[in-house]
Amino acid sequence: MIVDKIKKRAPSAKNKPSNIDIPVGKWIKCDECGEIIYIETLNKNLNICPNCGHYFRMHINRRLEQIIDKGTFESFDLKLETSNPLNMEEYTKKLKALREKTGLEEAVECGTGKINGENVVICIMDSGFLMGSMGVVVGEKITYAIEQAIEKKFPLIIFSVSGGARMQEGIISLMQMAKTTSALTKLDKAGILYISVLTDPTYGGVTASFASLGDIILAEPKAMIGFAGQRVIEQTIGESLPEGFQTAEFLLEHGFIDKIVERKDLKNTLYKLIQYHK
Amino acid sequence: MLKKEVSGEAIAKSMFEMAKLEVPIICIVIGEGSSGGALAIGVGNKVFMLENAIYSILSPEGYSSILWKDPSRIKEAAEKMKLTAKDLYDLKVIDKIIKEPDDEDAFNKICKNLRKEIVSSISEMKEMSKDEIVEHRYQKFRNMGEFIKI
Ligand SMILES: [Zn+2]
Repeated sequence: MIVDKIKKRAPSAKNKPSNIDIPVGKWIKCDECGEIIYIETLNKNLNICPNCGHYFRMHINRRLEQIIDKGTFESFDLKLETSNPLNMEEYTKKLKALREKTGLEEAVECGTGKINGENVVICIMDSGFLMGSMGVVVGEKITYAIEQAIEKKFPLIIFSVSGGARMQEGIISLMQMAKTTSALTKLDKAGILYISVLTDPTYGGVTASFASLGDIILAEPKAMIGFAGQRVIEQTIGESLPEGFQTAEFLLEHGFIDKIVERKDLKNTLYKLIQYHK
Repeated sequence: MLKKEVSGEAIAKSMFEMAKLEVPIICIVIGEGSSGGALAIGVGNKVFMLENAIYSILSPEGYSSILWKDPSRIKEAAEKMKLTAKDLYDLKVIDKIIKEPDDEDAFNKICKNLRKEIVSSISEMKEMSKDEIVEHRYQKFRNMGEFIKI
């Protein structure tokens, strides 16, 4: 059976979190239901499994196509590289390889664009680049974007997906949490709307900084959101935790997020929220 | 229950409120400071560290198991992570190292040193306006971390 052959060759979605741009194969396997999906089909379906509705992680470019009006995105194009504060040899090589593989500069892209004609500053993270972790470049790009939102008086929208602070940059990564958070106090003072959109998975230092500080916090269905992972918490406190306690649905119930929005409705929801705020 | 799943938000909110305070803030790392919990109360105009204290993104145990999937490389992690007062001073994460003399009267001497540094920092910031204090703290964290323009 041809399908069986494809099944063997198809990269699993877990190993290829979001690099659907990359011609590693034309097919991908759904982690949820095992269906083999033509990548073209998946891209046309907002990276949602047509069989079971499972949300695949999205490449920055796919997310931009979905959210931002065609041809209106302008990247801030900062062209930054980390100073590698811990002098990790392997790290520099890894970054270089990732840049080539993903076509991305770093784990976040930021710029201006329009949503149904409304100007916004938008930041989109990508799990395919070191699990969307935040080091100095991500911190700087997000902070710069916040400052641009203040200057241009455009609403700010950040799509988060992240494993947290970037281990390879040590304490400097941790400090990016304070840096982005401090910038948000200025945005807040300027009365500019900030909508934080949490996608699967959003963890660690990103949850513990800008992702949790939106005036409005939205999440995609079933997104996993937390600070420490469930296993780590259980080991630390010596108690087991209820199933699904880090899902968007659980967090909505407990008042941490404001609304769960299906991927197909995200653009219009953002548009409406911007309209209300005007 | 609730605390466990929203500790991330608590850290974010704590930093957010600290960043806005209109009075000088001096933070002192006196033992083991690590991860978001430490930073949540670490957004100060001045950050001091006792000479033998550590301040890091994560415990060396956690670091080696996350980065190398090998918790036994603790010693190597501790060396690589740059978590000593001297390292953090060089990285411009902290402003001052408080000496910890190794003698019988150490405790009193440390307290005396600390007192001196706190008093001098306060008098340094005394003349600043509310806005200047907030902006001083902002610039400190705004400039955390160096990067290269490609
Ligand atoms: Zn499926």
